[in-house]
Amino acid sequence: MIGRIIDVFDRRFKFKDDFKKNVLDHPVPPRVNFTYCFGGITFLLYVLLLVTGIAAMFFYVPSVEHAFATVEYMTFDLPLGNIIRGIHHWSANLMVVFVCLHMLRVFVYGAYKNPREFHWVSGVFLLGITLAFSFTGYLLPWDQKAYWATKVGVLMPKSIPLVGDFITRLLMGGSDLGALTISRFFAIHVVVLPILTAVFLVAHFLMIRRTGIAKPL
Amino acid sequence: MPDNNMTRRKFLATGIGVISGAIALGVGGAAITAVVAPAVTNKREDKWVEAGNADDLVQGQFNKINIAYDAKDAWMEGKIKLLAYVKPDGDNLFALSATCSHLGCNVKFDEQSGKFKCPCHTGVYDATGKNISGPPPKPLSHLEAKIEDGKLFINTGIKEA
Ligand code: FES
Repeated sequence: MIGRIIDVFDRRFKFKDDFKKNVLDHPVPPRVNFTYCFGGITFLLYVLLLVTGIAAMFFYVPSVEHAFATVEYMTFDLPLGNIIRGIHHWSANLMVVFVCLHMLRVFVYGAYKNPREFHWVSGVFLLGITLAFSFTGYLLPWDQKAYWATKVGVLMPKSIPLVGDFITRLLMGGSDLGALTISRFFAIHVVVLPILTAVFLVAHFLMIRRTGIAKPL
Repeated sequence: MPDNNMTRRKFLATGIGVISGAIALGVGGAAITAVVAPAVTNKREDKWVEAGNADDLVQGQFNKINIAYDAKDAWMEGKIKLLAYVKPDGDNLFALSATCSHLGCNVKFDEQSGKFKCPCHTGVYDATGKNISGPPPKPLSHLEAKIEDGKLFINTGIKEA
């Protein structure tokens, strides 16, 4: 049934063979091992975060008054809400772990060397984006841990000479951690960072397609 | 010639397909369930709410009754507001919800014609709540009402008419 539907489109656009050749049967160098999966696992986690994040947005309200109550509602009242939140929570933590493992593998194998320097560069941007996701997402439940951890986090840049004070105020949206902080963290978390991720991920993937992955040692 | 290599390939491809499918179904299913669930679980419950003093009701006439009561609105304590018309007739109470059966505006009782009129799309109901002209497809819903200790009580749990 599904195969028949796919065939209808394939007869017109001829993508089946290309898909097979370039995706399913794409040749990789011999002797690749499981450490080559870390990047893919990171991407899988990102997709899980995207799906559960979209579901969570149906319930979450980024305001000082409601944020905690909405998270509580999701966790304890909404059917499967705790699953959504749980997957989002654990995928977020694991994503940081797997980004690091992926980079470690690339580093140890020297896979960042010519001609793949820019894979590494785009990857470092993605690392930064992942950490920014973690930092902004951490505040959103607006519980004690979130509040104080973010307070510590936003005050850190303050020690930078000259611009530090301004950066802290920029992060908080003023001189206090409050209503403007939670709404700007929310906007960054759900709009700005996903768009940036998409841009750098596409670049990351296209480059690796072009050069192929580095041969194992 | 299908050799062993081919079957191994097929096996792995199917395995990967099944695992990916399971993850997609699991996570997608959970997401969709959570998003759809409130549509099924959040229902207006049967609840008798106090709606003023029985003495204030004028006999034989439609009295406009504003009902406001506290209800849980997901994560908030919210107020739900309803408008009803109550006509005491001896010991009987005749109560109608003012919610138009077309698209939910509040109908208004017109003293002159003795009819309920809806301001939104000119729906008209007679004094028994029956829809007599305009777009409304159904009569106004009847509400349960009672008087206890000199107070008027109305059941907010409207059975969708
Ligand atoms: S809502 Fe009353 S006529 Fe349309």
